[in-house]
Amino acid sequence: MSKAGVVHPKPSMKSVLLRGSFIIMALYIALYVVYVVQQPRALGAGAIASLFNNTVPLALASAGQAIVVLSRGFDLSLAGVVSITNVVMAVYPLEGPGGALASLAICLAIGAVVGAVNGWLVAYLRIQAIAATLATMIVCQGVALLILDAPGGTVAEWVSYELTDRIFNFIPVSGLILGAVVCLWLLARKTDFGIALYAIGADEHAARLSGIPVLKVRFFAFVLAGMIYGLAGYMLSAQTATGSPTAGEPLLMLSFAAVALGGTSLSGGKGGLFASVMGAATLMLLQKVLFSSGVSSFYTGIFQGAVLIIAVMFSALLTRLGERKNK
Amino acid sequence: MLISGACVPAISEGLELSVVRVGKSYGATVALEQADINLRAGEVHSLLGENGAGKSTLVRILAGAVVPDCGVMHLHGAPYRPMSITEARDQQVSTAFQELSLVPNLSVAQNLLLPRIPKSVFFISSAAETMRRASSMLARYDLERIDPAIEVSSLPLADRQRLEIVRALENAGRVLILDEPTASLAETDWLFGQIGSATDRGVAVLYISHRLAEVREICQRATVLRNGRTIATVSLKEASNDDIFEMMVGRRDDHVRKHASSALKDAAPRLSVKSLSNGVLVDASFNVRPGEILAVAALEGQGQRSLFRCLAGLEPAKSGSIEIDSREHSISSPRKALKAGSGIAYLPEERKTEGILAGLSAATNIVVPILSTISTARLVGQNAEAEAAGPEGAKVELSERYLSFAIGDLSGGNQQKALIARTLATGARTLLLFDPTRGVDVGTKQAIYSAIRAFAASGGSVLFYSSELPEIVQLADRCMVLYQGKIVETFEGSAIDEQGLVAAMIGHRATARLRAMQ
Repeated sequence: MSKAGVVHPKPSMKSVLLRGSFIIMALYIALYVVYVVQQPRALGAGAIASLFNNTVPLALASAGQAIVVLSRGFDLSLAGVVSITNVVMAVYPLEGPGGALASLAICLAIGAVVGAVNGWLVAYLRIQAIAATLATMIVCQGVALLILDAPGGTVAEWVSYELTDRIFNFIPVSGLILGAVVCLWLLARKTDFGIALYAIGADEHAARLSGIPVLKVRFFAFVLAGMIYGLAGYMLSAQTATGSPTAGEPLLMLSFAAVALGGTSLSGGKGGLFASVMGAATLMLLQKVLFSSGVSSFYTGIFQGAVLIIAVMFSALLTRLGERKNK
Repeated sequence: MLISGACVPAISEGLELSVVRVGKSYGATVALEQADINLRAGEVHSLLGENGAGKSTLVRILAGAVVPDCGVMHLHGAPYRPMSITEARDQQVSTAFQELSLVPNLSVAQNLLLPRIPKSVFFISSAAETMRRASSMLARYDLERIDPAIEVSSLPLADRQRLEIVRALENAGRVLILDEPTASLAETDWLFGQIGSATDRGVAVLYISHRLAEVREICQRATVLRNGRTIATVSLKEASNDDIFEMMVGRRDDHVRKHASSALKDAAPRLSVKSLSNGVLVDASFNVRPGEILAVAALEGQGQRSLFRCLAGLEPAKSGSIEIDSREHSISSPRKALKAGSGIAYLPEERKTEGILAGLSAATNIVVPILSTISTARLVGQNAEAEAAGPEGAKVELSERYLSFAIGDLSGGNQQKALIARTLATGARTLLLFDPTRGVDVGTKQAIYSAIRAFAASGGSVLFYSSELPEIVQLADRCMVLYQGKIVETFEGSAIDEQGLVAAMIGHRATARLRAMQ
């Protein structure tokens, strides 16, 4: 039996399109076209940068959430981590580029600590993810209130200016940071950790029998997610330039919406981080489009929810069509 | 020939893996009491036993998935005590699991190489190298036709089983454990060829299968487990099938029928099932008469679950008809099953997940199906519940003081009593009981048996499945044996004995008959 005798067919075009983030990309582009038609100025570098600045906190929060969801988990501590990092940034501003770097390290460390607690509770003590992270979220919110009991404070000037600016008057810094996170993820998903993350999300038992260190992977999924929330809080502070002990709360539910909108299965093992980032971007762009269409902001939630249901139903429909073709 | 003594025999006899007095308990449940087994290099050794004899626990211990509580294991003369599957694999002991350990959303290649995916630079895995190694691995085992790039979930079950075996073969330098490797393989040529080349390399193979014909074809020796203990290790050339069945079942003269059948021979059947097919189940036809207790005996996964779930309205049947009191009924939900003719009530398999409503009292649990009949103006008082539940509980000897307890706080035995009281309370004249005494103590078993007998004596019909053969021998008026989805044999009255049942359950009768026909 010669090896050359067997040629396996390449995957079909359709299955490539169905995979990953194609649907959400298409949705985003369609929405962007609508936006540009309404607001021709939206193509300017300044408008694009401001869109990025608006999007990045939620996009990063959703990216972290996506990692936990891929491992078949839930992470509510997001709201707590973003709030703590935001108030720390506002109460203890560190000036200059060095200060910004130190602040970044602090934010990442806060996220890593909270993530480690989550991971320990969920992976090693086997507490349900929703209960464990609910508890850490409540604790974190309490800590945030201790640091700053009412909205106020000022974020370091260097952070709030430089991180919302453009390089060469064109490339938004926040976009670069988001891009860096996405690129790191694309590398990470090719490591043992990334492969294991998908494996334990799809079938934890089989993964264990295949020799994957399930508990360790689950633990580090929470730690990594926590660090990304820390980064989200850092970027949120740059954008708002002030602190609020409840800054993270609006991001929590929207992060789940973004993950689902990006086609990542809430039952784990399917989807990705980039698609969730695009889901977040779509939700934020939808807000802008509605605003520029003159729709009262009170309706924003209704539209976001409706888009979510339609997108999830649509992707389920496409998956079913794809499966039928395969049989 | 009984194996005894804790000494470690010399490697010169070709002994690869020796297991001495290994045991494992989960809380009060003893999964494996004391198992001894010796595997020789280059030999295929079979592990035989009924359901629950401890086979899978022993496999898990050898595979490194479970750490034993006691006992000693030696691999090639050195102590062997793997704490994880990876550790076992590092010592060249590898297992193909019955439930398949492939991750569905990873590619064939990734699955074959887990947990060590080849790297290109740094920690980044190399897709090209992964593919290359996987295809050369597939080629070595004559499976070039499987594309290493596709996701495992898109493969048919038989190919997944082959991959599971390939992965085990690849990592088994010393010991290869195959747990039901032919469960989804239609033919054994490929597998037996691979086992042959493994034994040629001096690998010791442990082969677990309930198909005795297969075992005789490939294995030289067999170890029989019963109730978590090693009964004997025999040479398969010298032991007859009857010897093996006897070792699997044991001589238990005390389990004989102690009551006369209350079946009404001349009455029209209460339940008549015609060519029912669904899932594994193929073309099942049978009748249950009023007053009759009909048992179903089968190994795991032979279609008994589909049969019960179809009759209970939990699964739609693919084809076939169900007649109750000579009238055809379509049963699409448990509620319809209760209302179909004289009614069918179902006792589910999983007490914790399908049966009890843990937070509610035992009394409420019993009266759930009849709430509408005991309510006054749609309101149900606690007293009304207790009054209605009391007599039903008494039928299964459920002590009255337990009625007010939350059922989740009761022992497993009392929970099961309450659930049987619930099926009795429905007033249905046909009961479907799926493993009614699973995991309950002896006293509770007797109470359940008398409740079932009393129900039959009052003219009710019972269809029950049990994983315990003595129970079937004691209770059943008739017993059908399911094998690979078909009713292969029906035993009646005193013809129901454990050895006969076991022979039919492992397909021995069916294959013997096939041979006779050829």
